[in-house]
Amino acid sequence: MSEDAAIEAPPGEVRRRLQSSRLLQYVLLQVLIAAACGFILRQPLPAPPEKYAVTEFRLRQGDTERSVTSPHFASARSPADDQPTYSGRFTFPAEQPPRAWSIYLPRFTNAAEVAVNGVVVLDTRRDPVANRPDRSTPQIAVIPSALLHGGSNELTIRVLVWGPISAFLDTPYVGPDDVVRPYYDRRALLFVTLPVVFSAWQAILAVILTIMWVMRRHEPAYGMLAAAMAVGVLQAFLSTPLDEHRYATLNSIAIASAPLESGLVLAFGILFFGRKWPRWGLIIFAPSVILVVAGLIGGQASVRSLYLFIGTPTVGLCLVMMALISGNAVLRRQDAASILLGCAVTIVLTSWVHDMLSVLQIVPDRRIFFSRLSYSAMLVAIGAALTWRFARALNQVDSFAGRLVTQVREAEDKLKASFAREEERARAAALARERTRLMRDLHDGLGGQLVSIVALSERGNDASAGIGDAARAALKDLRLVIDSMDDIGGDLMLALGSWRERAMAQLRPHDIELDWLITPPGLPVHPELRPWHVIQIMRLLDEALTNAVKHAGARRITVSIGTLGDVNGLEQGCITIADDGKGFALAADGDAPAEGTKAGRGLRNMQSRAVRCGAGLDLTSGAGGTQVRLTLPHRFPDSEASG
Amino acid sequence: MTPLSDEPLSQAISVLLVEDDAPTLWRLQDALTRAGYQVRAAATLAEAKAGLAHGAPKVLLTDLQLPDGHGIDLIRETRQRFPDTEIMVISILGDEESVISAITVGATGYLLKDAFPTDIAATVRDLVAGHSPISASIARFIVRRTQNNPEPPPGPPLNTAKLTPREIDILWGIAKGFSYAEIAGHLGLSRQTVPGHIKSIYRKLEVHTRGEAVFEAVQQGLIRL
Repeated sequence: MSEDAAIEAPPGEVRRRLQSSRLLQYVLLQVLIAAACGFILRQPLPAPPEKYAVTEFRLRQGDTERSVTSPHFASARSPADDQPTYSGRFTFPAEQPPRAWSIYLPRFTNAAEVAVNGVVVLDTRRDPVANRPDRSTPQIAVIPSALLHGGSNELTIRVLVWGPISAFLDTPYVGPDDVVRPYYDRRALLFVTLPVVFSAWQAILAVILTIMWVMRRHEPAYGMLAAAMAVGVLQAFLSTPLDEHRYATLNSIAIASAPLESGLVLAFGILFFGRKWPRWGLIIFAPSVILVVAGLIGGQASVRSLYLFIGTPTVGLCLVMMALISGNAVLRRQDAASILLGCAVTIVLTSWVHDMLSVLQIVPDRRIFFSRLSYSAMLVAIGAALTWRFARALNQVDSFAGRLVTQVREAEDKLKASFAREEERARAAALARERTRLMRDLHDGLGGQLVSIVALSERGNDASAGIGDAARAALKDLRLVIDSMDDIGGDLMLALGSWRERAMAQLRPHDIELDWLITPPGLPVHPELRPWHVIQIMRLLDEALTNAVKHAGARRITVSIGTLGDVNGLEQGCITIADDGKGFALAADGDAPAEGTKAGRGLRNMQSRAVRCGAGLDLTSGAGGTQVRLTLPHRFPDSEASG
Repeated sequence: MTPLSDEPLSQAISVLLVEDDAPTLWRLQDALTRAGYQVRAAATLAEAKAGLAHGAPKVLLTDLQLPDGHGIDLIRETRQRFPDTEIMVISILGDEESVISAITVGATGYLLKDAFPTDIAATVRDLVAGHSPISASIARFIVRRTQNNPEPPPGPPLNTAKLTPREIDILWGIAKGFSYAEIAGHLGLSRQTVPGHIKSIYRKLEVHTRGEAVFEAVQQGLIRL
């Protein structure tokens, strides 16, 4: 029913309807993915037991001091602001044997200096990995047992900020190392090790894509993606510069290259999905250029502050556009690659929104950033998409090569056939030319002389009649030879047509009737028929006729022509010459008649001619006459069989 | 195909016989004279043209290779001057090389030089009666020319474009040795109409432009300049 409706509707409308239903499906899928992502991102990460948490703090910031509970966002955004210092207490039970205790910081921005009882036990600035605010790096430090004493101990955490985001301190845990460390390890795996693994992956992809692009310059998509990957790798392995050394500015510019990276990924998306490179295309890279210029002029601080206002929105914009482009590609192409990429973009976009909400403190949480991590999801997707595309391209090449091989073979066969035809035609033309030449020569010479002999013999006495007969026979044979050389296209019926005329001319003076019976469709056509086959058959028939005239004393000769169906379904032509003469007695071997050596020789001649053409010859003779039955082969032999 | 008959022939039928070989000329002349034809003999082209000057013969029988010219020219001239004259070529072998070129200038069939006297008389009688004889090999040559070959087979040029499918069917029948009655039976014709068709075939194969015919004859080496 719906199919009928689709057929009746104009094609444009059908396409539109189909596209809108596809769009609906796709959008629903993306919403579902985004919701699932949001749900997963809202799940709290496992934390050590509550009794080890330190939540009550006195926050001293500048001249003010107040009580706060962790997790706590402080307003400080740059080193110029008052750096917050949190002071709290924890209880250390003096137990035997003494257990090693550790302080575990699940999350902080940008750095923290932890002191226990006034002695600094951890300064996260020393760990380059921990200095990246975009990575939710946890930290752990074992508190030297000498510093701890039974009962209440003092914990001081100074949070250091260098932007671009504000200071944050998640609830620190102080507890036995064997209890706290597993939680640290889990977070470290997720936020430290995994990014390294992904970065390694990215590096490999960057190399592969660069090679692809170098080998296939006409596909700049791969070049764009390779550049994006390279930027990503460079960014991942750089650490935040904390002091003003020579390359600090360049370093921070490189770290702030996420807009460039996202711009390159967007460019890849545009090119990969076969869109024309838009005129405004270079605008994609404008934010990163601004950041570089700002960094070169204004130094680290300006890069960081600008990054928050230009960098992150650019990343978001690029993601949105990427989502639109891949959605459009899904509608247009409906292939696995675009759907996969579209879903991955949705995941990254959801993470980005989550991170933004967290940075702007719109949604209260523990300030854990997933953008970077979810970017890896996109990487997986891109890797898979590229592999898929590569495999498909290989398949296409294979099938194309296969088609090509078939086509070449067909063309070759055709060429061979046409070559054979051409050869055959050339052979026939050569034969015809030769025949024409021979005919002229015979006509001008021998033929005329023979006719003169016939004419002269008729004017003489009876003895010369034999000469005339011989000369006439010679002329007849001459005509037979020339006739047989004509190209009859394998149709023996055409040769028999001329033979009938000659036979009638021969029989007329003897007053013998010639009956000519053709059973339709006559004889089968033999493309392999050659002039020498025709001559052998015509001479054989001539001899049968001559025997009937000279030796049998026949009054009526019947020639029957027809086709026999063989037991194998093969067609065989059959020519029978029957006379009403007196017949003769056959020898026991059925080969030659017992009497009349001349007739016997004639019969042996007929036998040998039949054998040479691969034909069968049957002789039956009795009081009612003689019958010569010639069964033609299904296929004439190429060369003469020994007679 | 040419039934024998011993009926006496009309005395008025005049035959111009052109043959340069004396013995052959004698035997043909004998055969025709005995059958009751009025035969004028010529051994050269000049003699033949002189013979034509005396008036139109009913039948012209001519050899092609004459000592002072070519029989083709004589046929063409006779055809143009005396459209009612029946023309036949005298041929040694009855080969299409000579016969077809004669047909294209207006001849109707051929006579073999060594034919039996009775056959010679019968052929001429049939010709006069309006029956145009055609041999299997000539029919074969014509029908093979009607087939679409990219490269025309060697031999004299022949334009078969005017032939109708029915006429081509008749030619096929003759080429395969069927009698007129058999052909008429196969094609659903009356036996009497077959000779008319054959006459029509002869007329259609004629080339009417003199220059064209001479050019073709020269091309084929039939006329040696």
